[in-house]
Amino acid sequence: MLLLSPPQPQLQPFFTSLHMAALVKPISNVTPKFVSSPRMGSSHSSKFSTIIRMSATATPPPSTSTKPASSKKGNIKETLLTPRFYTTDFDEMETLFNTEINKNLNQDEFEALLQEFKTDYNQTHFVRNKEFKEAADKLEGPLRQIFVEFLERSCTAEFSGFLLYKELGRRLKKTNPVVAEIFSLMSRDEARHAGFLNKGLSDFNLALDLGFLTKARKYTFFKPKFIFYATYLSEKIGYWRYITIYRHLKANPEFQCYPIFKYFENWCQDENRHGDFFSALMKAQPQFLNDWKAKLWSRFFCLSVYVTMYLNDCQRTAFYEGIGLNTKEFDMHVIIETNRTTARIFPAVLDVENPEFKRKLDRMVEINEKLVAVGESDDIAVVKNLKRIPLVAALVSELLATYLMPPIESGSVDLAEFEPQLVY
Amino acid sequence: MLGVTTLTLGSSTTLVAQNHAQQHATTLASANGNRRDSVSNRTHPLPMSLVSSTDQSFSFLSSFKEPTHARPFTTAVASVDSDKLNSSDPPTKNEASKYYFLVANAKFMLDEEEHFQEQLFERLRLFGERNQEQDFWLVIEPKFLDKFPNITKRLKRPAVALVSTNGPWITFMKLRLDRVLSDSFEAESLEEALAFNPTDLKFEKPEKWVAPYPKYEFGWWKPFLPPVQTEVQP
Repeated sequence: MLLLSPPQPQLQPFFTSLHMAALVKPISNVTPKFVSSPRMGSSHSSKFSTIIRMSATATPPPSTSTKPASSKKGNIKETLLTPRFYTTDFDEMETLFNTEINKNLNQDEFEALLQEFKTDYNQTHFVRNKEFKEAADKLEGPLRQIFVEFLERSCTAEFSGFLLYKELGRRLKKTNPVVAEIFSLMSRDEARHAGFLNKGLSDFNLALDLGFLTKARKYTFFKPKFIFYATYLSEKIGYWRYITIYRHLKANPEFQCYPIFKYFENWCQDENRHGDFFSALMKAQPQFLNDWKAKLWSRFFCLSVYVTMYLNDCQRTAFYEGIGLNTKEFDMHVIIETNRTTARIFPAVLDVENPEFKRKLDRMVEINEKLVAVGESDDIAVVKNLKRIPLVAALVSELLATYLMPPIESGSVDLAEFEPQLVY
Repeated sequence: MLGVTTLTLGSSTTLVAQNHAQQHATTLASANGNRRDSVSNRTHPLPMSLVSSTDQSFSFLSSFKEPTHARPFTTAVASVDSDKLNSSDPPTKNEASKYYFLVANAKFMLDEEEHFQEQLFERLRLFGERNQEQDFWLVIEPKFLDKFPNITKRLKRPAVALVSTNGPWITFMKLRLDRVLSDSFEAESLEEALAFNPTDLKFEKPEKWVAPYPKYEFGWWKPFLPPVQTEVQP
């Protein structure tokens, strides 16, 4: 699961505007806390592993690292571990998939999906080898920090997916055992991915305290309908990101600087299957797909996810350059392909292949860079906020203009009234 | 009221659904219309530098003459405990068995839907790991389509079918691919079920390819073509 969210506080005004006050209900605020502890099982008592935790305090406490100065490991930026952890109206979810209330649910698709998830294609595939530690030891300087950041963000995103799916699997057990079991099997996949990534962090003498993260995480409330839109997009964009990186590195092995990318082929297929399940969930609730409101929300979530990814990645060009990719070209490829996939279920999608769409994204990047610069300046808080106002206004204006671009009508052929006349 | 809805399918075929009076008259138009009014599933074109030097044509018939693709004629039987079977139970000798399929034009299935390739190879890999007999095949221009006039009149040719004895898996694949037609039929033997009309496939080389990786090789589908019945020596 790829939950794209802004790690930088500078992006917060942008996301406040993007997620619309009516949609988002934050439950608790969390900031990361870093605790150094001796690495268990290490033969050298001088070695320490940083366990990253989340604290519900308003401001992050200073790092208490007691790591020897000789070590090459640096502290992790505190703003990184703030991905969106979603929660939803579980009662409404139970009602939506109650087989007694909804007699016309297409259980055939769910049964087929259940068989596919039970097959567990990657049961034996996420097995580490000595390459990991060797590659981690070779990574030095900024590139090392970039990879640590990548592993943390990915691990936290996968873990947040695990938590959501696990809870849905538990809550739907009585009302729809088939759907519940699929959620449980998806949580199995997410846990496997998160665990694999967390093991990767151990190569850098780091570990995410996932147990602590569970208790002290920040939640964003989304209604079930919005969970479907957002998570479908997260899974499908995750597939396109991972398969693109995998195929690029297969064609250009000289950039294969860390072995985790070799696992992306299998990994991304899990993401794709998860997306398929959300596609089936939406098809089972056609009211989420067949009216003008659904079209507006579809476009909104597409915009939200694409812009988030583009702005986030443009702040991390070093990572993509480190593996031989042009960040903007990579992102546009992923956006275009995700949009084409999404057009098979969403009733309307953005016209991302219109050159104006990319121009608007690039303008947003420029504005966001200015916002970041303001945040990093030595000005007092009041001055910073005054400087931010026109920039945030410009960003909102670009977002609105992008949202209002003529959309592309789309959707599953299964739901199309004119399907009997289509030529395949 | 005249309502026009345009949808571009994988083959770049556009259908225009006209008003009620013309409901049964299917109008086909080329996909040269306004890009904003259609959902394109076309893959980005490929630059010449990334095209392999091999000829981009493939004779479906000639592939069966090559010994590398010849395999013994077997029915799909999973060699695992019955409670772990992922495919339908194998038919007995004289009993007709059910085959499930989904079908669309070859361009869409084999050239544009690149993740389709990944799925088939993932499944083939899994079957190998678990010592299960392959229970799915790709059939180019299958003969069984003659039994489905309502499907054939809606297909751009050449057509490719994904055929399996595992019904739920075909249901899943329909969910994934979306722009495909699906149904099922019975056949006395696997040979009958997978019979095909020899066809040469040729896909246009894309003019532009913006992905940061090369396109999958032409002919990637060979491992999924129907098995060849080995000649019995007297």
